[in-house]
Amino acid sequence: MDSEMQIIRLFALLLMVLEWTRPGLSSPLRPICDLRVLDHFIKEAWDAEAAMRTCKDDCSIATNVTVPLTRVDFEVWEAMNIEEQAQEVQSGLHMLNEAIGSLQISNQTEVLQSHIDASIRNIASIRQVLRSLSIPEYVPPTSSGEDKETQKISSISELFQVHVNFLRGKARLLLANAPVCRQGVS
Amino acid sequence: MTKMRSDRLKIVFMLCLAFVTSGGKYFESKVAQLIRDETEDIKCFVEGKKDFTCFWEKEDGTNYSQDNYTFTYTYMNENKMDCAVSSLFLLSSNRSVFFCKLPKALFFTSLDVQVLRDGQMLYNRSLNVENILLTDPPRNVTVWSSGKEGQLNVSWLPPAVKYIDDSLIYEVRYAVEDSHMGKVEETKASTMLVLRGLQPDTRYKVWVRVKPDGVSYKGYWSSWTSPVIAVTPPGSMDPLIVLLVVFIILILCLLSMTVILSHHKFLLKKLWPDIPTPEHKFPGLFTVYKGDFKEWMSQNSGSMWARSVQMYTEELPSPLEVLSEVSLSPLDERKLVRDEDQRSDSGLTEPPHWLMEQLRALQENPESLSRSTLLQSHDTYITLNHSSGGQREDDVFEETLPLQTLFTSAGTSSINASHSDLGSLRQSSASGRLSSQSSFEDPNHPWPPKGPGYAYMAVADSGVSLDYSPMSSSRIIEIGKRSFYANEYKNEIFGYKWPFSAQQVQSGY
Repeated sequence: MDSEMQIIRLFALLLMVLEWTRPGLSSPLRPICDLRVLDHFIKEAWDAEAAMRTCKDDCSIATNVTVPLTRVDFEVWEAMNIEEQAQEVQSGLHMLNEAIGSLQISNQTEVLQSHIDASIRNIASIRQVLRSLSIPEYVPPTSSGEDKETQKISSISELFQVHVNFLRGKARLLLANAPVCRQGVS
Repeated sequence: MTKMRSDRLKIVFMLCLAFVTSGGKYFESKVAQLIRDETEDIKCFVEGKKDFTCFWEKEDGTNYSQDNYTFTYTYMNENKMDCAVSSLFLLSSNRSVFFCKLPKALFFTSLDVQVLRDGQMLYNRSLNVENILLTDPPRNVTVWSSGKEGQLNVSWLPPAVKYIDDSLIYEVRYAVEDSHMGKVEETKASTMLVLRGLQPDTRYKVWVRVKPDGVSYKGYWSSWTSPVIAVTPPGSMDPLIVLLVVFIILILCLLSMTVILSHHKFLLKKLWPDIPTPEHKFPGLFTVYKGDFKEWMSQNSGSMWARSVQMYTEELPSPLEVLSEVSLSPLDERKLVRDEDQRSDSGLTEPPHWLMEQLRALQENPESLSRSTLLQSHDTYITLNHSSGGQREDDVFEETLPLQTLFTSAGTSSINASHSDLGSLRQSSASGRLSSQSSFEDPNHPWPPKGPGYAYMAVADSGVSLDYSPMSSSRIIEIGKRSFYANEYKNEIFGYKWPFSAQQVQSGY
């Protein structure tokens, strides 16, 4: 009798623990189709770009960093499928994350540091938004080597210009045309 | 042949030029607008995801043609490209411009444009294409009334630009027709607006224009749409009139209330008349002496007669004729016969005197009254019993008039000293007896007091309740009770004719 009760207690405890930890795949995120979320990040990127525009002499990067190309040709973009668009956006975000992340090492003023931190946080949030829309994750290039859609920059102001233009352009276009969001809209 | 061919080529060229220069419906207006608003030398705008145009004005006083100019553009990380220059004459502003329609529009990247005249750099500019958006004005502007007072609904369709239609803001301008004063309202991400606070039953003109919101795309305000006219619904009730009516009603209510309050005593008297009380005739009787009539009488003895005269003028009592019955008891009969015998010798009998003698006899023999049926009439006569004894209280009370109950007082032989205005019956302690079968009638002329030994009662039966408390209030209660018993079965008229004042008699009931 006692042993049976013990087993039942253990079973209940196990269920509780499993429910709490939820190992394995978590439940799918609710899709974030509202573009105002991304617009908020873009506004903060604008603020960072304006702040970085003013600092010229102090804001220089030691080595050139690789950042994505931000140009959008609508005819070309429309010809791409969703996976290609997703890959382009995800790789671009990855590059920007690395480039802006590398800035944390060098000495910066508090204001600039706050913009850098905000940009890193926003890129992570945009990745979460893409995940909620079931956009494929970033896959590092294996054989192609140098990505076509990249450029090299040497100043922090250029970096944040690229950052804001990339979010306004490719990232926003991808979110605006996500298949998950268009399914609900007739 | 060659001439014909060259002519045809010219015609085709002109047509192509016309086609190129026409562009969209609003091309010329956009150019004209940017001439006004844009300060840069090279003015560029993009109308959608393509249709990217840059132009510059012809310098005054020069005769350069489009062949003199070269337009180059360089996107970031791309090679320099050339663009064909064309010219356009604006009829609206009477000016000439040279323009270039760029074949490729790349957004979100930097672009450098240059204008060379005869190989020399004239103008240059660096810009981003997504920042120079100048779309067509909104389409299908509709204005209608929902029926609500002072409101109009406006709706429209965004310009036909892909990818950009979710980043646009709109401005709605409205004004009364034929008026120059207009109001502007802005709305974001919505293609509908409700105009409020409008005048009822008025014709309004409405215009709409559009511009990128500035987050992802930037640009210029489009031109206004053609005005759409609509009429607001008529007003239901002028609030001023309603307010005036309410004020008038309030004022009338105040006036009526003032009138009522100022004449409230009069109105109260008419609606709720006072029950008359004799208190004003007996000053101080109820307030000072608490209804003790004897005390009050003793205090006010000096001025009694004066008041009684006044009383007589107000309520004139009439004399009360006291008659005696013919039928007498045997004793009395014997007495009467004796008297008559005595008188018969005199030879002259005066009928009026026999009554006085009779009364005197009664005074001597009070018991005879109990057996006699003196004054047994039922209407207007009273029997006066002045006995000094107090033996037959019970008998007396059985037949007692209510008036007796009112006029009980101490003292036995002081009948002569009655001073009340109405000639109150000063009764001895026990035996003042009045026939219950009689009632008092309102005499019409004053009744002078007669000889001593009699208490004369001048009663004014005006419905006034006279409540004179005797020595002890308990006695009056007792008396009252008994008298009521008597009244109940003996003479209903008394019950009717003698309403007692409330303060004394309530206990008796």
